Amino acid sequence: MSKVKVKKDKDITIYCDVTKCVACRTCELACAVEHSKSKDLANSIIEKDTPRKRLTVSAINGKSISVHCQHCKEAPCVTACMSGALSKDEKTGATLQDNEKCVGCWMCVMTCPFGAIVGDSAKHIAVKCDLCPDRDDYACVATCPTGALFAGTKKEFEKKLTKKKK
Amino acid sequence: MADHVIIGASAAGVAAAETLRKNDKKASITIISDEKLTLYSRCLLTYLIAGAIDEEKLIFKGKDFYEKNNIKTLLGKKAISIDPKKKAVTLEGGTTVSYDKLLIATGATPKSVNIPGVDKKGIFTIRKIDEARTIIGMLDGVKEVAVLGGGLIGLRDAYALGKKGKDVFVIVKSPHILSQMVDKGASGVIASTLEKNGIKIMTGLAAKEFLGGDSVNEILLDDGKKLKCQLVIIGKGVKPNTDIASSAGLKVEDGIKVDKFLKTSDKNIFAAGDVAETYDVARQANRINALWPCAVEQGNIAALNMLGKEAAYDGSLSMNSVDFFGLRCISMGITKPKEEGYEIISKSSEHSYKKFVLRNNKIVGMVLVGDIKCAGVVSALIKKGIDVSSVKHILCETKFDYAKIMPLVKKFSDKFKEEEYQDTIASYKP
Ligand SMILES: Cc1cc2nc3c(=O)[nH]c(=O)nc-3n(C[C@H](O)[C@H](O)[C@H](O)COP(=O)(O)OP(=O)(O)OC[C@H]3O[C@@H](n4cnc5c(N)ncnc54)[C@H](O)[C@@H]3O)c2cc1C
Repeated sequence: MSKVKVKKDKDITIYCDVTKCVACRTCELACAVEHSKSKDLANSIIEKDTPRKRLTVSAINGKSISVHCQHCKEAPCVTACMSGALSKDEKTGATLQDNEKCVGCWMCVMTCPFGAIVGDSAKHIAVKCDLCPDRDDYACVATCPTGALFAGTKKEFEKKLTKKKK
Repeated sequence: MADHVIIGASAAGVAAAETLRKNDKKASITIISDEKLTLYSRCLLTYLIAGAIDEEKLIFKGKDFYEKNNIKTLLGKKAISIDPKKKAVTLEGGTTVSYDKLLIATGATPKSVNIPGVDKKGIFTIRKIDEARTIIGMLDGVKEVAVLGGGLIGLRDAYALGKKGKDVFVIVKSPHILSQMVDKGASGVIASTLEKNGIKIMTGLAAKEFLGGDSVNEILLDDGKKLKCQLVIIGKGVKPNTDIASSAGLKVEDGIKVDKFLKTSDKNIFAAGDVAETYDVARQANRINALWPCAVEQGNIAALNMLGKEAAYDGSLSMNSVDFFGLRCISMGITKPKEEGYEIISKSSEHSYKKFVLRNNKIVGMVLVGDIKCAGVVSALIKKGIDVSSVKHILCETKFDYAKIMPLVKKFSDKFKEEEYQDTIASYKP
C-alpha cells in the first residue's frame, strides 16, 4: 500500500490508470468504510445507515476503471445545481457539496459526465466523492493494491504512465 | 472602468454577476430586479409549498453575495426601458442607469389561460416567492386542488400539493400526461405512481370556466361536469419577458435573438436565460430552453463576452429531472421526434422505462424513468455529438455507465478535450 499524503489542490487530483486497474473493488470497500461512522470494516457493516461507497468500479472489454467525482474544472453539476448545494472551492478546485442544501432534485445526476453522483433514496440527497475530509489522504488511493489509483499532478501521472512503458 | 448592468437577479443574472467579478476585480457591476427578494431559487418553490424546505433553504447563494462581490443592487425596481443609443436603462420612478455593457436576464412569466373567471381569487401560477407565500397562506382552507396542465410543470405543482395532503386533480387535454415527452407506456408508469399517492389524473379534458363568487370554488369542464376546488394552479409553461427588448428595437422572435456570444442585435447588449433564444444542440435550431442549468451557463458565458473575452456558447440542451414520490424521471433533448429519420431504442418494465432517440447514430434525446444512473454520461454524448454505434445495444442496460464509453472517449479524443478525460485517454488501451 502506498502512503500518499497529498490532498486536492488546483493541480492535484485523483487519477485512475486503466491499465493497472484489475477491478478488485478494494477502493469501493475502502470508500464505504471511510464514510461509515466507525470507519472500521467489521463495525461499519452493522451500522444502521449502511455506509455508501462514493465511487464505482466498472469495466468494458476486460478493461476496468474506478470512477469517482473528477472535481471538474468546469463542473456541469455545479451549473445545474438549482439549490446551491454544489459549489467550487476556489482555492483547491474541489467540487463541494452542502448536504443541508441538497433537496434531491437529481439535476447533478442528470449532468455529471462520469455518472459519479448518485441519489441516496433513504436520505433523499445526492452522494459523491467528498475527498475524505476525515483523513489526510484518500481511502481509495491509499488502499489500491495495484497502484491504479494515484493522487498527484497531471505531470506526475503522465510520468508514471511513461515510466511503466519502458 | 467599465459599467456592467444586469436586469434580472435570478439564475442567469446572478451567474453573470459572479463571473464578471471573478474575471474583473475592478469593474462596476449593477444588478436590477423588480423582486425585493433575490438569490432564491424559484425551482424550489414547489418544495417550499410541499413543506419539504423552509424559506431559508430557497437561497442558493450566500446572503452576503452582493457585498462580498461588491455588486450594486437596485432591488424592488422594474426596468421599464432601454435606450441603446444613450446606453441607459430607465427604471420605474424615472431613475436612469447608464451602462457600457448590458445583460438582459429578465426571465419568463408563466402562461395563463384565457378562460372566463380566471381573475377569481384562488387561481395561481407558481413563479415567484410572493405567489408561493400566498398559496401557503391559504392552504389550511383548501381541500381540493385542480392543476391545469399535464407536463412536467403541472405535475410538479400537483406533486407539491399532493404532498400537503390535498386532493389533487390534474386536468390534461391530451390522452395521457407528459405527452410532449413520452409515449403512453412511460407516461403510465408515472401516472400510476402519482395516482397511488392520491393524485387524480383526468385526461382528455379541459377547463371551460372557473365558477364561484370572489373566489373560485368549482371548475366547469368541457364535458359538462363540474369539479370542486378551492385552489387552481395553472402549470402550462412560460413565455419570455421580452417587452423591454422589443421596445428597445432589439431583434426578438420567440425570445431575444442572440448570436453564439449571446450578443443581441445591439453590440453592447447581451441576453441570457429564459428570455434568450439560443442554439439547441439536439434540435440544431434556435429555441428557448427555459431551464436553470441553461440560464446559469448562459449567464456565465454572456459575462465573459461582456468583458470582451469572446467566449462562444456551444449551445443549450433541454433537460429536466423530477422525482415523484421516489420515482425519478429525466428527459433530455428530442424525446418525441415528429419527423422521419430517427431511431428509437427503448425498454420498459412495470417500474422503469428507458428511451433513447438517435439520429445518424448520435443520441439526440433520452427519457429515463426509474433508473436514472446513466443520465449524465449520456448528456455528454449528446452535447458532444458522439457516434454511439458501438454501444447502442447496451444503452438500455442498467450497467451502462462511464466505463462503457471509454472506447468512445479514446476514439473521439478530439471531442473529449476536458482535462478530466485525459487519464482515460492516456491509459485506456483497447
Ligand atoms: C416552480 C418552478 C420549478 C422549476 N423547476 C425547474 C427544474 O426542476 N429544472 C430546471 O431546469 N428549471 C426549473 N425551473 C425553471 C427555472 O427556474 C428557470 O429556468 C430559471 O429561473 C431561469 O432563470 P432566469 O435568470 O433566466 O430568469 P428568472 O428566474 O425568471 O428571473 C428573472 C428575474 O428578472 C426579473 N425581471 C423581469 N423583468 C424585469 C424588469 N423589467 N425589471 C427588473 N426585473 C425584471 C424577474 O422578476 C425575475 O426576478 C422551475 C421554475 C419554477 C417556477
